[in-house]
Formats: sequence, C-alpha cells, structure tokens
Amino acid sequence: MKPKIPDSRFQISDSRLRKFRFGVVLLFVLGLAIFIAALLGSEKLSFFDLNEQQKTILFDIRLPRILLGASVGASLALAGASLQSLLRNPLAEPYLLGVSNGAALGTMLAFVFFAQFELARPVMAFAGACLATFVVYQMAKSRAGMNVERLVLSGVIVTTFLSSIIVLLTSLLDAAKLRSFTFWLLGDLSQSTINGFYLSFFAVIVGTIILLKYARALNLMMIGERDALDFGVEVRQTRLAVFAASSLLVGTAVAASGSVGYVGLIVPHLVRLAIGSDNRFVIPFSALAGAIFVVAADTVARVAIAPRELPVGAITALIGAPLFIYLLRRN
Amino acid sequence: MFFLRHGSGLFILQNFTRFQIHFHPSRFRVKGLLLLSILIISFSNCRTQPTAVPQIVAPLREMTDDLGRTVKMPATVERAVSLAPNLTEIAFAVEAGDKLIGRTSYDDYPAAAQKIPTVGDTLNPNIENIIALKPQVVLVSTASQIETFTKQLEAQNIAIFVTNPNGLDDIYKSIYQIGKIFGKDAKAGEVVDILKRRVADVEARTATADDVKIFVQISKEPLFTVGKESFINDVINRAGAVSVTANVPTAYPKLSKETALALNPDAVILSDSPDNREPNEVFANSPAVKNNKIFRVNAELISRPSPRIVDALEQIARDLHPDSFQ
Repeated sequence: MKPKIPDSRFQISDSRLRKFRFGVVLLFVLGLAIFIAALLGSEKLSFFDLNEQQKTILFDIRLPRILLGASVGASLALAGASLQSLLRNPLAEPYLLGVSNGAALGTMLAFVFFAQFELARPVMAFAGACLATFVVYQMAKSRAGMNVERLVLSGVIVTTFLSSIIVLLTSLLDAAKLRSFTFWLLGDLSQSTINGFYLSFFAVIVGTIILLKYARALNLMMIGERDALDFGVEVRQTRLAVFAASSLLVGTAVAASGSVGYVGLIVPHLVRLAIGSDNRFVIPFSALAGAIFVVAADTVARVAIAPRELPVGAITALIGAPLFIYLLRRN
Repeated sequence: MFFLRHGSGLFILQNFTRFQIHFHPSRFRVKGLLLLSILIISFSNCRTQPTAVPQIVAPLREMTDDLGRTVKMPATVERAVSLAPNLTEIAFAVEAGDKLIGRTSYDDYPAAAQKIPTVGDTLNPNIENIIALKPQVVLVSTASQIETFTKQLEAQNIAIFVTNPNGLDDIYKSIYQIGKIFGKDAKAGEVVDILKRRVADVEARTATADDVKIFVQISKEPLFTVGKESFINDVINRAGAVSVTANVPTAYPKLSKETALALNPDAVILSDSPDNREPNEVFANSPAVKNNKIFRVNAELISRPSPRIVDALEQIARDLHPDSFQ
C-alpha cells in the first residue's frame, strides 16, 4: 500500500509540472516575440542610442501596436477556447457563431453615427457581439433544450445575414470611408493607440478571470450538458458567463483591429494537442499562444513589403488555413 | 465559404456586385420586355419607310488607347458613356458633353453632367444599364476592372476606350484623344494650349525656388499616400516640390507610420475630405506641422486627371512658394 500513494502523487505532480513548464515556455516565447517584434520594422532603429524621433517611433507607434496585437490575439484565442468547450464543437469560433460580425456591425455603426466619441466603437462592438450571441442562442433553443447542431447552424445564418448588412453599409458609404473599411474588415492593427491597448488588455484580464472561474464547469460540460447537470454544474449560468465573456473579448478585439481570422480556431487546438483538454490550463495557455500568434503575424504584415503594409488578417488566414487543414488530416 | 468569412472583405465586396447584377429586378421583367418588343417590332413593321440604323452603316475607324489596344469605333460618335469623373470633365471641356448619355455616380462636374443618367459607380458599373443605353463608345479611366465586362460590351459592338494617364502630358493626350473621338479636335487643341500656358507660367515662377519636401496625405486613418505610379508626382514636381514617398511602389500605398514619421516633410498636402482634414499624428513633430505648412486641396481637383488638375497645380505652387506669386 505504501509505495502506491507517493507513486500516484508523484504522477499528478509530474503532469502538472509538465503543464507548468509549458506555461513558462509560452510566457518566455511571448516575451521573446514581443522583443523581436520591437526590433523589426520599416524603420531601422539602433537600440544603443535612440534619438528623440526614434524614441517616438518605438514607444508611440511600434510598441503600442505590438502590445495591442498581443492583446487582440489573447482575446480571440480565449473566446475560441471557451466556446469550443461550451458547445462541444471543435469548429466553434467567434466568427462561426456570428459574434465577430455582430461586433463588426456595431463598430461600423459607431463609426458612421458617433465618429466623434472614441469609446463608442468598443462599446457598440460589445453591444453588437452580445446581440448577435443572444439572437443565435434564441434561435438555437428548442423545447428539448439547446441543441449544438442548431446552434452552429443559427450561427452560420446570423453570420451571413450580418455580412450582407455590412456589405450593404459599405456600398452606401462614400469612397473615402470605404477604403478605410475594406482594410479594417481584413484585420488591421495600424490604428493602434496605447489607450486602445489598455482597454483591450482590461478586457483580457476580466475575460480570463471569468473564464477561469468557470473552467471546471466547462470541463464537465465537455462530457455533456446532462452529465454536467448531474455533477451539479450550473449549466445556464456557465453558458451565460461564457457568452458574456466572449462577447466582451471579441467586441474589444474587433473594435480595435477589425476581423483577424483563424486565431480563435487554431490556437486552442494547438494548445490542446500539447497539454490535453483541461480548461484550467487550455484557457490561460490559449491566451498566451494567441498573443504570440498575432504578434508574429503582425510583424510579418509590418515588415514583408515595407514601407507599405499588409493587413494582419491576411497573414493569420494565410498561416491559419493550411495549418487547420493539417490538423484536420492528422486527427 | 469559410475562407471568405475569414480572409477577404474585399473579395466579398467585389462579389457582391455580381450578385447585384444577378438579381437585378430587370431579370424579372424579361417576359414583359419580350412581349413589348414583339409589339414594337410588329408596329414598326407597319411603317412604310424603313429607317437605316446608323451604327451599322457608319464607317469604322481605328484608334489606339493607353493600354495599346486597337479600338474600332464609328467615324462619328454621337452616343458615349463615361465611367470616370475625369473623362466626363474632359468630354465637357472639349464641348462634347451633350454626347454623353451615361455617367457614374462619381461624375458630378460640371453641373450639367449631373443631369446625365448614372450607370453605377466607377468601381462597380452596371453592365445592363450600359448596354441598355446603346452607346457607341464607353470611356474607361483605369485598367483595373475592365476585364470583367470588356467581352460583354464588345459582343454588343460597343467600343471600349481606356485612358491611363501617368502625368500632365498624358492628361493632354487624353484630352486630344477624347476630342478626336467626338470630332472636336480643334477644341481639344485649344483646351490643351491654355493648360500648357498656365503650367508653363507656374514652372517659370517656381524654377528658381528650391524644391519643397512634401507629403501628400490621401487618407488619415489608415494612412494612405501617393506612390511611384501616381500621376500626382508629375503635378507635384512641376509645382516646385518633391514627394517624400515618390519611390514607394504602387500608386496609392498604405504607408507604415514609422516610415511616415521618419520622413520629416516640410509641408503636408491634404486631399480634402471630411475624414482627412488634419495631418496624421505621426507628423506632430515634423517641420510641416511645426511651421504650420499644412495645405488642403479640394480632393476632386487633386485626385482627378482632368483639366482641373492644373487648378490643383496652381494652388499647390502658390501655397508652397507664396513669394514667387506676388
């Protein structure tokens, strides 16, 4: 009897140690990614003696953009990871469920009607994301409870419906505004400000706290909602909390950078491949990995055809789509 | 489907117009139109004198457009559609405005042009509307999207003439060409002579002055400017200035803000529109902002390769070299 107890204890701590180590590695890589991204750009900076102008370039333009990129990546990956667990669907993602397009429509309306208020964009993006989620959720609900297939289907319908409203709006806007929107729709971080980063980072902190609080419940819900109920999980409350947190995360991310695709889809999958599907780890590690992914992609977007720029969404899709196909084939 | 949603808003935008064409209400009126045309044909047969159709009888002539295409068109052009505001302006300048039967919604100058029916906008012209107007020639300004409808129009015996001006000399050429199309060669020559005289005057006045390093801001957020391939560079150079982005590829690139900040322009020219009334924040410490050398130029004047580009040229030269114009 005696040798078994320390053995099993040892095993648990070993698995946890491995996960802990993975987290430390991710944190280190994120730091490294931010450092390298700060070294690269269309303007060469000699870091040993920066003049006034180079300081402005580094601290007012380059760093806010890198930090906002990290924050946006974390937001999208967090939303993707939690929605996938909640809906027990590996395809669940802010885009598929209409959350992103709700946020995009909200941002556009804010831009058209309340252009003078800086806060209108994130607030209306959040409202749009919430509204889209609510509509999708109501459509998916039936007397027999919520059915996942119905939910994904409603998500697709709401997404395409909102897409057509967005296209209609851009057709009605004049040419000058159209140009900024077509860029923004592709995902663009060039309008980053340090205030935008603070707001997005605040959403990441709040979102992570909420989602970690429900991580255990999400673990049980991955088995099935019935079983989760039997285990004493507050299913309704968990669902509401995850929807609210992902709306907040996606809303602030979309308001800051438009539609940066594939982050919420592939990052959580890669994390699960590495450390298994325990949400207490998948959620925080997805945030770190998502941040790394977008920082790297945006560095490519900034440097590839300098001094011109590519939209970061094009780069994430360019990397994300083949990677996703590879993951599909592997499984 | 998946990629569309994620990847490319632009793609969705471009495809949307195809849907518009596809679901255009006139499709549903086809049967009615058919009935109507049968009626019209039977009535026209009752007439004793058959009228000759001018398009078929008129002899064809050949002209070479800016893409090097050989365009066959009738010797006399009485019905033309313009798909760009600068071409509409040129047609009116050579006194052929009365021969335009269609324009885009962007073509708002001169005021008389606004009475002409529209056929969509420059980016998305409506091909059904164009064909229904039965033009002999369609005037196109950029080479960007003509592939999509060239074949359809040419199948209807409608000639497509493309202009692609890279500078003032090319704009003069466009004026001559459009004058020739409408049989207004003399008037076109007059117009060009006046423009050349005005440009020569500006060049003489700014000849001795040092070139001013300017940044042309097309859009504040995201930051768009004028690159290597834009005709505006030529205008800037003749105004006694040099664009700090003259070596950036493409015509209207989106510029990195870091690069923009390091350019330190001595003056900023704003293509004036409601969301482009101030220079971008990256220029806060540039000589341009410090010395208050910020100049707004009517976006219509600076962005259209039309005769009015010389108005923009004169204004920029005056703004940058006030001493030379006293």
